[in-house]
Amino acid sequence: MRVGIAGAGFTARTHIEAYREMDVEIAAISSPSGPGETIEEFDLDAEAYADVAAMCEREEVDFLDVCTPTHTHLPIVRTAVDSGLDVFLEKPIAESLAGARELAALVDDADATCMVGHVVRFMPAYRRARALAIGSPGVARARRLSPFPNWGSNGWFADPEKSGGIFVDLAIHDLDYLRWCWGPVDRVFARTSGEAESAHGFATLRFENGAAGYVEASWAQPSSRPLTSELELAGNDGLVEFSSADDEPYVRWTEDGSTVERPLAKDGYRRELEHFVSRLESGSEPAVDPEEAVESLRLALAARRSAERGEPVSPTEVGR
Amino acid sequence: MTVSVGILSVAHVHADEYARLLAARDDVEFAGIADEDVDRGRETADRHGVDYVPDADALLDRIDGALVCSTNARHAEWIDRAADADVDVLCEKPLAPSVEAARGIVDRWRDAGIGLGVAMPLRFSEPARRAKAALESGEIGTVLSISGTNRGRMPGGWFVEPDEAGGGAVMDHTVHVVDLVSHIIGERVEEVYAETGTRFHEIDVEDVNVLSMRLTDGTTFLLDGSWSKPDAWHTWGDAAVEFVGSEGTIAVDCFDRSLRHTKASGEDEGVHSVFCGTDPNAGLIRDFVASVADGRELAVAPTDALEAVAVVEAAYESAATGQPVEVNRSS
Repeated sequence: MRVGIAGAGFTARTHIEAYREMDVEIAAISSPSGPGETIEEFDLDAEAYADVAAMCEREEVDFLDVCTPTHTHLPIVRTAVDSGLDVFLEKPIAESLAGARELAALVDDADATCMVGHVVRFMPAYRRARALAIGSPGVARARRLSPFPNWGSNGWFADPEKSGGIFVDLAIHDLDYLRWCWGPVDRVFARTSGEAESAHGFATLRFENGAAGYVEASWAQPSSRPLTSELELAGNDGLVEFSSADDEPYVRWTEDGSTVERPLAKDGYRRELEHFVSRLESGSEPAVDPEEAVESLRLALAARRSAERGEPVSPTEVGR
Repeated sequence: MTVSVGILSVAHVHADEYARLLAARDDVEFAGIADEDVDRGRETADRHGVDYVPDADALLDRIDGALVCSTNARHAEWIDRAADADVDVLCEKPLAPSVEAARGIVDRWRDAGIGLGVAMPLRFSEPARRAKAALESGEIGTVLSISGTNRGRMPGGWFVEPDEAGGGAVMDHTVHVVDLVSHIIGERVEEVYAETGTRFHEIDVEDVNVLSMRLTDGTTFLLDGSWSKPDAWHTWGDAAVEFVGSEGTIAVDCFDRSLRHTKASGEDEGVHSVFCGTDPNAGLIRDFVASVADGRELAVAPTDALEAVAVVEAAYESAATGQPVEVNRSS
């Protein structure tokens, strides 16, 4: 398998780390500002492009891995499927429902295979949590707290027109995961506070099965606090709890401070990419297709709309 | 100075703990227990080596202060009797099952001139006190958002009888963290949206209690006070609150100092957390005893407790209407 990667930033680096352990050759990388630095950093034998269309046209690759800012997903996926490529697409699928639907239609019309990288579904802790017995669902709790992602080029995360904002970019991890666990959501009520670069939001959920839940997402944390993720699934016959803060399998202390590492033979990123590649090889549909990602985006947009309007919103209202 | 204290009704599960703390104090003469239920009252009194007093008025004649640990619905009548006898009261939370009833108690308190406080032990939690000091001195700038939990096991008994409790998890597990947050940041809850339901147990009241709130200054406030912990969980529940500020975050987990105890056999077989921090209930009882002794005001006034009851009432209204509800304190 040969991959071309669109984007050379944070997500691309994460995926490169995974590909290097897999039987996937990174043939080329494109980035408007030039991917040279990233290629050098990982000592890759990959062609460098500034233009993704040129890369798709000239390179003999099996699929394109789209690791670019959210608002660029649609045009880049169009370019990829026009070149006959399959696509692995970083989450969220798009920043708007219209864009996401157009993207899904493009993929469908081209008969391409596309998977959206809702990586939480592939993280071992979250995967195991879903499989554990708790009886019938009662209350779900999912939190994801981090400093503002200052690695985005031109501050694109802070622009809701580009990233979709805190619910569409960050809370969507857990919204998608909880949908996957407990099914469709009937209504959402959400609140936000802070400015774009210190946004903090939470959304309460009522699932169609009657269970309740909530997702809390923060970009308002100080840089000293590492990404904290918490999960609880409470049912009438059991409870599953997880907190990244308690998950410290490897700790190193030195005079300069301490570091925690959570080494895994295969982390969530590697697992999602291996899943996608195996599905390409077998010619079957991957786990998170564009339609599935559209539903998670719809839920995130419902949360955003609820926070704007101060009233509960049904995801079915979004885009109608 | 020694004060004479009794307990009026031991219906509430906290009564045993309060009785233990009263019995251990040198400055308290633990005068006895009265109860609507003779067997329950006598058994509790025997456990703590004090008198069960069948005639509550006789007990009231002998004491300076009383702990009211009745069902929520009966707080008002016990407080009434204590006020008649000019006895100070520390009342179990919530003050009453409705704003109307809570307001009646506040009016009675003002007329009678007795000391009346409400049991909000979290105000005496050391990590919570540390957070209050830190927030007041601006350690994390302006508070933007608050996220709290006060989960527990389903308590059963009268706690799930609508007539005695007034509701379920919303009634039982909303007021602690709501009161603590108001106390710490000096803002009241202005609007409540509630997702409730009965998902964990076959009971007549709700066991799901997820509240999305907004404070008077716009701070957002999420609270999960569900009875979502299985009986087999390692401890009774939790009380935690995280403050996200413009210049940092402070997380308080009131009972996070604990030992892990594994019992290999017997009734308590299994793994249990044993709290080993400073006991907030001890602070609560100390505050009450000091107030009875020297007449100073109690830490948690009935007007504060009325605030929390108003939030509970708004939560029920939101659950019924499916809409966010403004907290109404005047009814």
